Amino acid sequence: MKPSTVKINKMPSRFKHQVPKYKVTRSDACINCGTCAKTCPYGVHERSEGHNKVKPPIDYKCIGFECQSKDFCCITKCPRKALSLSLNPMYNTLGDPRWTADMITGTWIMAETGYPPERTDLDYNVGNSGGGFDKLRFKFPAKPAKVDKAEISTAIPLNRRKDGRADVVISTPVYGGGMSFGSVSLSTMVSKAHNATIWNTFTCTGEGGFPDILKPYCDHVITQVATGLFGVREETIQRVKIVELKYAQGAKPGLGGHLLGEKNTEAVAKMREAVKGTSLFSPFPFHSVYSIEDHKKHIDWIKAVNPTALLSVKVSTPNDVDMVAVGSYYAGAHIIHIDGGYGGTGAAPDIAKKNIAMPIEYAITKVHNFLKAEGVRDAITLIASGGIRTAHDLAKAICLGANGAVIGTAELVALECVRCGNCESGRGCSRGIATTDSVLADLFDEKWATQRLTNMYNAWNVQLVDILQKFGMHDVSELVGRTDLLEHIDYSH
Amino acid sequence: MPKKYHITPKPAPLDMDYVFKFTIVRGENCINCGKCIKVCIYEAHKRRTDDPRKMADPNTVVCRNCFRCIQECPRGALEKSINKDYSNIGGAFWKPDILMSLWKQAEDGNVPVSGAGYRGPFTGIGFDSMWTDMSEIVRPTRDGIHGREYINTGVDLGSKLNHLTFDSNGQLISVVPETIDLPFPILFDITAYKLSLHVKEAILKAASVIQTCLIIPVTEITPELEKHSDNIIPSLASTDIDKHEAILKKARLVAIDYSDAMLKDFQALKEKIKKHNHALTIVRVPAVKNVEEIVAKLTQNGAEIIQIVADYRGQEINESSGKDGRLLKDIIRAIHSRLVEDKIRDSVTLVASGGIGMAEHVPKAMLCGSDLTAIDIPLLVALGVRVFEEPQKLLVFPEGLDKIPSRKLTQRIVNLMGAWHSQILEMMGAMGIREARRLRGESGRAIFFEEIDRESFGKLFKKEKR
Ligand code: SF4
Ligand code: SF4
Ligand code: SF4
Ligand code: SF4
Ligand code: SF4
Repeated sequence: MKPSTVKINKMPSRFKHQVPKYKVTRSDACINCGTCAKTCPYGVHERSEGHNKVKPPIDYKCIGFECQSKDFCCITKCPRKALSLSLNPMYNTLGDPRWTADMITGTWIMAETGYPPERTDLDYNVGNSGGGFDKLRFKFPAKPAKVDKAEISTAIPLNRRKDGRADVVISTPVYGGGMSFGSVSLSTMVSKAHNATIWNTFTCTGEGGFPDILKPYCDHVITQVATGLFGVREETIQRVKIVELKYAQGAKPGLGGHLLGEKNTEAVAKMREAVKGTSLFSPFPFHSVYSIEDHKKHIDWIKAVNPTALLSVKVSTPNDVDMVAVGSYYAGAHIIHIDGGYGGTGAAPDIAKKNIAMPIEYAITKVHNFLKAEGVRDAITLIASGGIRTAHDLAKAICLGANGAVIGTAELVALECVRCGNCESGRGCSRGIATTDSVLADLFDEKWATQRLTNMYNAWNVQLVDILQKFGMHDVSELVGRTDLLEHIDYSH
Repeated sequence: MPKKYHITPKPAPLDMDYVFKFTIVRGENCINCGKCIKVCIYEAHKRRTDDPRKMADPNTVVCRNCFRCIQECPRGALEKSINKDYSNIGGAFWKPDILMSLWKQAEDGNVPVSGAGYRGPFTGIGFDSMWTDMSEIVRPTRDGIHGREYINTGVDLGSKLNHLTFDSNGQLISVVPETIDLPFPILFDITAYKLSLHVKEAILKAASVIQTCLIIPVTEITPELEKHSDNIIPSLASTDIDKHEAILKKARLVAIDYSDAMLKDFQALKEKIKKHNHALTIVRVPAVKNVEEIVAKLTQNGAEIIQIVADYRGQEINESSGKDGRLLKDIIRAIHSRLVEDKIRDSVTLVASGGIGMAEHVPKAMLCGSDLTAIDIPLLVALGVRVFEEPQKLLVFPEGLDKIPSRKLTQRIVNLMGAWHSQILEMMGAMGIREARRLRGESGRAIFFEEIDRESFGKLFKKEKR
């Protein structure tokens, strides 16, 4: 059920052209008759008044091979057979095995329209990584119980301890990950918080402090307390409903953070309560935490400062992630947030991103089963992140045992990130997302970004509801741990 | 605290034709409006110097694939594709991205860093099918990487005793065998390549700068190279020992090619070397099918150091096994567990070589059970060499390599090793292991794809056999 604050409006790309999947080639045989311009309903061929030549085809508007069965298809209608259709080599330069070009394009369409793509030529739900989520498929029953979509609830409670602290319920089982002040543009940061408010869910400050511009959204912002304790003050802990203790992050598990001196500008330094221009290290781990008992002291400290807030503990995925999760439960956490090794948005050493810690898919089952065996699974919320790219990944993560997920990259892709990976080199993101460069950070405004995010969250919710309906379920909580509803394309056949 | 081992990088760009990943072509419908100049923050688009009304060809070497010029050109006049040179270099093991990353590391000595999460496949073959563990709570800190604590990458070469024996007065009666320390778990090995003296000298000097040794055929050791005799490990056949007395006299380590005859009489071989010198012996054993058998026997016969030599892609050397041959990861694991079973693991030092191509392969090979590694191709790639796997192995040396000042070539190798050293520290730091010696065989700190996938997804999804 989506909150009444959610309004879907079309919010097109900021750019003149999209990245084309197909290439329409016009050969020298063309006699400029104009037939193609008249027949193509998508505006691929343009002939402007006064010109007797047809303009070069605008590839990205073409719907591709499925058009060939339509009676308006220009390829068949051209009297000179001057047109041909092929895959555009440019498409191969977009994306990678984890985030394929189809997945990026699909996410862009969701952010633009608010719904899953109508096009049938995009394989946007699974990637091409050859493992993990990309090998799992849903086993939908042939005759599910009849459920009306309007009756399906996607809301999840985050406080399952029933310890008298706030009963926080989010309307869709997904929220935004921490991206710190200074690592992304203000429009990006504010739009994430604004969208979290619209969707009645959350976003997180990251470790760079809590800027005042996020104050209007503080009921939907998680204050992160990371090892550097940058910008953490009593009031930033007191003004929120959830406080997250960050031990590690999936992109660079075990490595802490490092903000280069040149990125520590006046504004960043002020927010972090640090000296401008100095390199800022977030050590790993908390230097005051060498055991679960120490960890509990931290949680108790936050609980004392804010008597109603929920406590989330964010950890990465080592071999013993299951023990860490149980330890966090006993230390008093409400949410255990596990961040798998393949995710992350900020800059990190390539060697760490690829090699350190296990992928989230394994960690979810491991933690879910261990918490169950310990008899505490129902008293803690398990949130997965680090490689949740699509609504299908989200639903699969829930089937594996998570209650919900945190996303980062998908939000950036909604803002037209192309995953080029240049976020932290030179002036930062040339597309204006992960940058604070005065010119680049102004490439889009908060209104555009918020609507794009709201649209994408809606498309995900539509897909999730669709999946639940196909399983004949009324509530997303029925899906938790239902590995029997999944199959693995290697093992199950 | 021991003196900190540090490798100092210095920018050392080569003036060569760079391979780049993308090609951008400006179509004829360009109206020279200059929009692309404005939007490309990497300056790939410029006007022609001779005729500023027109656009020059895009300089795609600098392109970072941000798509802005593509999406903002009012005419849609720009087309981008994957560069042919890029897709042609390397192969299934030496992926183009690996080569490009090595070139970059050799140029600036920095740890490769990028944003936007991991981009590759979920898992792969060999070392790509394992992850390293990290410690969530209790572990030495990142300070180890940035200076306050010390993470030691040093290893020893030589045999160690299983236990010490004391007499009734508490006096040590065991004879503790001699070992040689290296501050960094990498040896250089150029035995498989014919290189010019200029290049050999540059590599040897780099070995001396980072305090490691170069394994080089004894016949190639010229007086110029002998200046660095401390860093030379002459390699030769056991039958040639007496021929090279002068060189052997100076060596701290000698590498002998394995032959079956050694299995019977390894002691005699050692005696023969001892006649000239007290050098420790490295036996270079090709990674053939029954290599664990050979290694176990050699160890029992007193071999102190054994180098396992896989092919240049880290595969087993075995004509008949073809694609089914084992990869270095599994070869090392098999040898290590065999030696552990035989209770002789500590009597020998294992050097893993062949297909060590990236920094991550070093600690991974050690977690699998080797004490250190030896590298060859990365040294050459640092000098700008291009590797091709198809249709067959081919190394293409940059033109004019011999005219590039040797200092610069040396610095490039030093840079690459500096970048690897920093990356190895990152991995050790994450694992919470402060001593490289402790990496050996610590498979508990590794996560193997086959094992974890079987344990979790295999158990969940495998159909019951009926
Ligand atoms: S229909 Fe064919 S001949 Fe006519 S303008 Fe188009 S491409 Fe040219
Ligand atoms: S193939 Fe169809 S969509 Fe594409 S240009 Fe022709 S008519 Fe338009
Ligand atoms: S630099 Fe590239 S990867 Fe990073 S946010 Fe911008 S578009 Fe995305
Ligand atoms: S933006 Fe397009 S039309 Fe303008 S100069 Fe560049 S390539 Fe030419
Ligand atoms: S894609 Fe981006 S980096 Fe590459 S040339 Fe165009 S604007 Fe420059």
